Amino acid sequence: MSDSGPSGPPREPPGRGSEMVWSILGTLVAGVLAWGGIGWLLDRWLGTRYLVAVGILVGMAGAFYLIIKRYGSG
Amino acid sequence: MTTATLPLAQRAGFHAPGVEIFQWPDIVHIEVAGIDLSINRVVLQMFVVVLLVWGLFYLGFRRPKLVPSGLQNVMESIVDFIRNQIVLEVIGRDGLRFLPYLTTLFVFVFFGNLGGVIPPVFFPLNGRMALPAVMAICSLLLFISIGISTQGPAYFKNALFPPGIPWPVYILLTPIEFVSTFIVRPVTLAIRLLANMIAGHLILTVFFVATGYLLTSMNISALFGIGALVFSVALIAFELFVAGLQAYVFTILSAVYIAGALEPEH
Repeated sequence: MSDSGPSGPPREPPGRGSEMVWSILGTLVAGVLAWGGIGWLLDRWLGTRYLVAVGILVGMAGAFYLIIKRYGSG
Repeated sequence: MTTATLPLAQRAGFHAPGVEIFQWPDIVHIEVAGIDLSINRVVLQMFVVVLLVWGLFYLGFRRPKLVPSGLQNVMESIVDFIRNQIVLEVIGRDGLRFLPYLTTLFVFVFFGNLGGVIPPVFFPLNGRMALPAVMAICSLLLFISIGISTQGPAYFKNALFPPGIPWPVYILLTPIEFVSTFIVRPVTLAIRLLANMIAGHLILTVFFVATGYLLTSMNISALFGIGALVFSVALIAFELFVAGLQAYVFTILSAVYIAGALEPEH
């Protein structure tokens, strides 16, 4: 199905060029938001102050891992 | 307050436009069950754009001819553009059933943006959050339902658990995937359009107000007014370009998300 028609290289993942950049940026933001948010909630629950920062770092690390896994092998 | 504490712009008698240029008073105040459904200028403009888009497609394709001419020609080239440059490029033949949605989206966003540079309207419809937000939610609901209808419940498994990763890492990655797919996507879609339109409208307003102020000042500043006038005209052309570009970006990203929902990641 995907080997016909005027569309570009057949097995490209959705996201070439600028769309890929947006996707990478989105993943980074999502990493910080997701784990930063979890850290913030844990802070509120446990009464601590530092888990937001830990969460943001964990989220960034996870986002980098995901990006490398998804786009790094190209 | 002494003159020294006033900001420069106020001291000079120049009032820089701010957020108030995005706020319009109600023309008709309507409230249903505590929900404000008032009609202001932006809502009226939205009705006009809806009628305009509907009318253009209706008149363009009312009596389609084999050899198109006039309006049919223009409308066909728009549909062709979305079909070839967005649908076939991003999704492939499988995506042709989403051509109507994506074409409508493109034309509606474009005409919504166009208000920003058309006299005497001079207000971009998408400079208010309501429309970008609703359209982004439409695209979100669309790609989720496409994912469910083509892959079944496995869509969420495929979206949240990227393949080729040892299972303990999912604890780290699944929240990120969830936020990135179902929250960051629609939010960035809406904010990108909104922010571009806000910035464009602010720049145009500042330049026009400044041009008027400089040209009517009876001193050497009037010379700068001529420069500001030239720049204002150039900025109109630039905003015209941004209006088209942002409509294109909104549409192509919606298409990318649809393509992502059609087949699982591999």
